Amino acid sequence: MRLKLNPIVKKDLQVAVRSMRISWGLFAYEAVLALAFMFALLFIQQESAYVFSNNIYSYLVYLFPVLAVTQVCIVALIVPIMTASSISGEKERQTFDIMLTTCMSPFSIVLGKLASAMIRILFFVAAGMPVMSLAFVVGGLSWSTLFYFLLTIVLLSMFAGSVGIFCSAFCKRSITSVIMSFVIYFIIFVLTLIPLFFKLISNEGYLGEVLLFLLFNPIVFFVDFFVHVMTGKPFMEGASRSDVGFLTYHLAQGKVWMFTSASCIVLLSFIFLMLAAWKVNPLHASAGRKRRKKGAE
Amino acid sequence: MSAARHPLDASISFSKGGGMLYIEDLTKNYGAFTAVNHLSLHIPEGDLFGFVGPNGAGKTTTIRIVCGLLKASAGKVQIGDTAVEAGRRNMKRLIGYVPDFFGVYDNLKVREYMDFYGSMYGMGRRDIAKLTDDLLELVNLSDKKEFYVDTLSRGMKQRLCVARALLHNPRLLILDEPSSGLDPGARIEMKELLKNLHSMGKTIVISSHILSELSEMCTSIGIMNRGQLVAAGRIEDIMRQLSGGKRIHIRISSDMEPAVRFLKEQANVTVDSVRENEVLISYERTDEEVCGLIGRMIQGGIILTDFHREEGSLESLFMQLTGGGE
Repeated sequence: MRLKLNPIVKKDLQVAVRSMRISWGLFAYEAVLALAFMFALLFIQQESAYVFSNNIYSYLVYLFPVLAVTQVCIVALIVPIMTASSISGEKERQTFDIMLTTCMSPFSIVLGKLASAMIRILFFVAAGMPVMSLAFVVGGLSWSTLFYFLLTIVLLSMFAGSVGIFCSAFCKRSITSVIMSFVIYFIIFVLTLIPLFFKLISNEGYLGEVLLFLLFNPIVFFVDFFVHVMTGKPFMEGASRSDVGFLTYHLAQGKVWMFTSASCIVLLSFIFLMLAAWKVNPLHASAGRKRRKKGAE
Repeated sequence: MSAARHPLDASISFSKGGGMLYIEDLTKNYGAFTAVNHLSLHIPEGDLFGFVGPNGAGKTTTIRIVCGLLKASAGKVQIGDTAVEAGRRNMKRLIGYVPDFFGVYDNLKVREYMDFYGSMYGMGRRDIAKLTDDLLELVNLSDKKEFYVDTLSRGMKQRLCVARALLHNPRLLILDEPSSGLDPGARIEMKELLKNLHSMGKTIVISSHILSELSEMCTSIGIMNRGQLVAAGRIEDIMRQLSGGKRIHIRISSDMEPAVRFLKEQANVTVDSVRENEVLISYERTDEEVCGLIGRMIQGGIILTDFHREEGSLESLFMQLTGGGE
């Protein structure tokens, strides 16, 4: 069976790689990563004289978190901007209607948009590999860590991309959808933390099943991954106890939390994509209402 | 999609003379506003149908519903044997849509543009390549194949969009205001292209404000006003039916007042307009009776320098039916 590439992915990549924007973007991305690396190295060097008892090598491992956090922050910033204009940009360019009259289903269109954004992000990640490799080589981290890190980036960009596409489907203007994407990020982050906050202020000690909400929080996922990589222990392990929250306790053991959280984030992304596809389907009544001005001729 | 062959052999694949587009009791409401009001229309296969109407008449809404870009509040649209809402995917293969305004992608060549849309119809690469060559030749853009789309002129882009719409060999080609924004030269080219496609047996629905163009190329028209179809059919049939040629321009060189008074006194004669030296009348009489009327005017001392039956034109018909409202 021949695997067919989604036409939108092919077209978007063709258009993107011919534009100077991607070159400048890659340059800026590399520059920020390199700067972060240099500052981190400089800091470790300076501090090693006083704090680290001149044993700089054992602390070079901290280059990884600096670069990883920088990279994740850039991805979290770029992906919504990239995807928030994916459908609204087509609408602004007046190419979206033609797209809808073709045999592509709304979900295929949405999926194509997400895939093209993720592939473009992988360009950035691949371009950042030399700098990341330095951190790995000098910091002594394993290839499997690098692989898991890449998977984490893909997962986070998928989530960010889904939110961006969801907003793009609902907003007419790209700028509005970019703003809306960041608002939704913030809401997801805060909403999943609210139960935790209430539990903490109630002084009940261990947090119990309230922690399950955090499975949907991409930042908590990343922190858990990160702590796992750096310390070998899951971040959530210390926050749970078997007699207070049975499910949470078992989820927090080993890598179970990480994988469950990853699945929850994939599910959340899928829901956002489905909603976006539902919204762009012209035969959906409310989608028609939004097109009122245009439709009314 | 099966192997390439098409450039416009569409007429071969289905029988001539059947119905292509059926619209039944179509209504589209936006809250309290009714954009399309119980519209029923039947367009036969191989027809070049012109949709005419002032702005806000509901032409684009109708077209968008037919193309599956808008949900109707009520009514039924059927293309060939396929209902628009029931067989969405099949229906999409039957329609080629050229919108009034459309954008292009920067950094995409003409060949790649065609390839992109061909792939969106699930066509194979070889088929697309072959059909692209043929269709670009048809729309006279063969030499622009390796040009970036955004470097083409408006007229060329419009023709490219027509080629794009024909790529999957649709049974029905729908163009919404294809001549808007085009210079006279590009308009002529577009008109020739549409005539050419029509002569090849393609069923075409075209909406336009440029009535003279429609009257030259359309085989039938539908005139819409305030969401309703006020007239539809062959142009000559509508002309005959509505104005029937029963309007006469009478040029008078003597005093106008007695002439107008005389005409107003006649039974079954209506004075439509009075200008400096000319009166336009409508009548519900036989030609012999009108000859008698003219004779009596001359005998009554009214000096006529000319009288002639009004030439029916799409413009006058349009003005008559829509009240001239834009």
